[in-house]
Amino acid sequence: MSSSQNQPVIQLEDGWNNVIKKGAIDVLERTLDDGFDTSFEPKEYIRIYTTCYDMCTQRSPYNWSRDLYQRHGETIEAYLRNTVLPALQDKTGQGGTILLNELKHRWSNHQIMNKWLRKFFTYLDRYYVKHHSLPTLEMAGLHHFKSEIYQNCKENTTSAIISLIDEEREGEIIDKTLVKSIAELFESMGTGSLDAYTFDLETPLLEATRSYYGRKREDWIAKDSTPDYLIKAEKALGEEKTRVMEYLNPSTEPKIRKVVEDEILQKVQTNLLEKEGSGCSVLLANDKTDDLQRMFHLFSRLENGLQPMANIVEKFITAQGNACIEKRQAKLDSGEKDKNDDPEFVKSLIDLHEKYLSVIRETFASHHLFQKALKNSFEEIVNNDVGQYSNAELMSTFCDRILKSGGEKLSEAEVEQSLDRIVQLFSFLTDKDLFAEIYRNQLAKRLLNQRSASDDAEKALIAKLKVQCGTQFTSKMEGMLNDLAVGSEQKNEFDQRMEQHGDTKLSFGVQVLTIGNWPSYKAPEVALPAQMSKCMEVFKEWHDAKHQKRRLTWVHSLGNATVRATYGKKFYDLQVTTLQAVVLAAFDNGQTYGFTELKDKLNLDDITLKPIMHSLSCGKQKVITKSPAGNKITSTDSFSPNAKFTCNMRKIRIPVASVESSHNKNRVEEDRSVAIEAAIVRIMKARKTLSHQQLVAEVLSQLAFFKPQPRVIKKRIEALIDREYLERSSENSQQYNVSLLISFWRCNPSLFFASYNFLRYVLIKSVPCLSGE
Amino acid sequence: MEGICKLCEQLDLDPLEDVRVLVLLWKMGANKKPAEIQKEEWMAACHKLQLDSIDSFKKFLPQLDTGFMDREEFGDFYKFCFQFNRAGTHKTLEKDLVVALLRMCLAGGRVEPDRLDSFCDFLESTKDETYSKITLDQWRSFLDFSYEYPNAKSLEGYDDSESAWPVLIDEYCEYMGKKMGKKK
Repeated sequence: MSSSQNQPVIQLEDGWNNVIKKGAIDVLERTLDDGFDTSFEPKEYIRIYTTCYDMCTQRSPYNWSRDLYQRHGETIEAYLRNTVLPALQDKTGQGGTILLNELKHRWSNHQIMNKWLRKFFTYLDRYYVKHHSLPTLEMAGLHHFKSEIYQNCKENTTSAIISLIDEEREGEIIDKTLVKSIAELFESMGTGSLDAYTFDLETPLLEATRSYYGRKREDWIAKDSTPDYLIKAEKALGEEKTRVMEYLNPSTEPKIRKVVEDEILQKVQTNLLEKEGSGCSVLLANDKTDDLQRMFHLFSRLENGLQPMANIVEKFITAQGNACIEKRQAKLDSGEKDKNDDPEFVKSLIDLHEKYLSVIRETFASHHLFQKALKNSFEEIVNNDVGQYSNAELMSTFCDRILKSGGEKLSEAEVEQSLDRIVQLFSFLTDKDLFAEIYRNQLAKRLLNQRSASDDAEKALIAKLKVQCGTQFTSKMEGMLNDLAVGSEQKNEFDQRMEQHGDTKLSFGVQVLTIGNWPSYKAPEVALPAQMSKCMEVFKEWHDAKHQKRRLTWVHSLGNATVRATYGKKFYDLQVTTLQAVVLAAFDNGQTYGFTELKDKLNLDDITLKPIMHSLSCGKQKVITKSPAGNKITSTDSFSPNAKFTCNMRKIRIPVASVESSHNKNRVEEDRSVAIEAAIVRIMKARKTLSHQQLVAEVLSQLAFFKPQPRVIKKRIEALIDREYLERSSENSQQYNVSLLISFWRCNPSLFFASYNFLRYVLIKSVPCLSGE
Repeated sequence: MEGICKLCEQLDLDPLEDVRVLVLLWKMGANKKPAEIQKEEWMAACHKLQLDSIDSFKKFLPQLDTGFMDREEFGDFYKFCFQFNRAGTHKTLEKDLVVALLRMCLAGGRVEPDRLDSFCDFLESTKDETYSKITLDQWRSFLDFSYEYPNAKSLEGYDDSESAWPVLIDEYCEYMGKKMGKKK
């Protein structure tokens, strides 16, 4: 306040006109118009500043703060209105770039002017503005620019920018810095927020973009194939991204991307995917990896954009698979006999799966939608059975071919790979239990006939199945392998025992099998020759001593033997089954038997004996003569040893036609019934009351190895109602209640489970192996 | 059983044709064993219903029409029909017997005649071995089903994948669907 005491009071008009206007504003405006950079000498600056300061600090009524603040605004306003606006209006219509340049120039001028004025009047900012909560000088300056200039020319500016961008999109080179600085102008006009930029520039720009790409889309889609279109689309998306980075606000990026994606991808998605001659399925058919990959990446940008594509992939793979099936069907139709050991079909499916698995992995980045598509299509393909043999059987037989000795010649790695793939295929199968049943039968045959090529491979496959379906699924198969392992350990022990016994000339081996693990076999009570039954007794004695609680059932139908037959001076080793050996032994003395006589003597039934006699008397090697001769065994035939038998080999295999089918369908059906009922009871026990649909749904979700028809489930429910495990709910006929009788069941749960999965009882079957001289 | 026949003779009822015999037995509460009425049951019923002579039985007869029963009573009676006609400990009824019984106790408008006839026809024509014997559940479901779909001409809204009706009813509906399809 000291200055006010020493100096005279400065009048408003005096101070304004003589010092501020003359010394600062006029100078400033002049230099701006001339285009020179303005700067004030420090001394000059101090003089003006001090004047302002004094005028603002004089005591009322000579305090001119309010007036100075007002005049500051008016000065800027006047300059903008009288000088800048006309200049800009002048340039309007002369082309976008000129207008933008002028605007840029004027804007930087304004910033200079604003800066200096703020410096001169800075004291206002410090007290007056604060006390009266007014916009700061700088803000006020901006406001004036906004209301005087910006509001008047923003539309023109925006359209100028848009047309520049459009030019650039067409490949021309534009002044990016210019656009960038104007974009910044728009940003500043929001005074702290981006509103002005968003409303005045961004929104019109997005609209323009939309219409631009809308036009492009129509143009491209009409002319280009899908891959070409996608290349262009990819390029456009990339350009838009760089554009935003180069001269727009980053917040625009997602918005503009969305618009472009919407215009050039979303709107023509179906069109692109299904385009004739170059759509998605055509690309798949021609293995156009790059194009598919591009398509995948582009559509993955869209929300739910991949689903339609995945659908096409699914349809395509299904069609491919169906082609394989049709091929098989056509083969059958053409009269070719359906063989279950034809690997071609399974192989074609495996190849198909391999191919698209890698396509999905490499091209579609293992996206879950595509994995699902592959799964869906293969579930459809694999469960589409045609012909006499189900796919489950074909697949099992395929495994059999790989695993048995003398099948396909494959290296270890190839075996491993084939098994891997077949198990993948298997995982799509609904009738997993059917596969298991057939597989077990074939495994049994391999193991018992010593046809298994490699123990390790067998174990490997079972391990793979275990991974897919759990321990329960493979427990029986593992049990089978285990039986054999135990058997070979005990063989030596028993052989020693046989030697001690000493009074039999036969070499004799037994394989003990756990019943339940193995398929069920017929065990005919054949009348054995004394020598053989002697051996059996020895073994039984030995075995009973070892295991008290086991019961042996002799399954002679699985055994085999080598019989040395002497014809005149020559002798032959006949490799036959135990039953054949028994029959041969009966002819030991050169006797002749009628069929019935033989049947009674050996205690065999027609069905068992007929194929044996057929093999011995009607096969390639006729070791026994049948009279009358012919190719069919009837019960009136009679047989005698063929004294004239010759053969140029010493070892002769005499195969018997197998009468048993490879698996027992009824057994699978029964197992399923039990499994369904167990599932129903389990669920109902937990839930007490459940509606029909819910129950069916839960049952389906619990059954892992097969998928029954709803009607089959319903039948099981009815069966349970009949047996009074369940009852219909009295309030609602669509619901079931657990009946009180369940409590009975609860006391005795093994009632169900014993027959279901966990075979607790152990019965022993065994196979005698006999070799006679 | 013989006693029941004798009683029928005296009352001029034909036990093979007349549903009133069954109604009488049901009212008398012959629940304990199939095909017979226990002495205690007989005594208690005679006492309760004040039946002490053939004449009183005859007077009682007109009340024995199935038409007098409400739904709940009839449902109970219907179940009784099944239970009473079982042979000993069997849980099911022969198909032929079921057809005769159905015609006997569901006649008189309880179930639309067309529905009854078509169902009996279906049972007679079906070759499925499992339906040579009918279970209690199947027996009862038919009555409920007839209530649910009273119009014999229309099975609209029936969906065998959704409903909990026994498979027998599903198959009957299929049979009807085919029959109606043919007519069209």
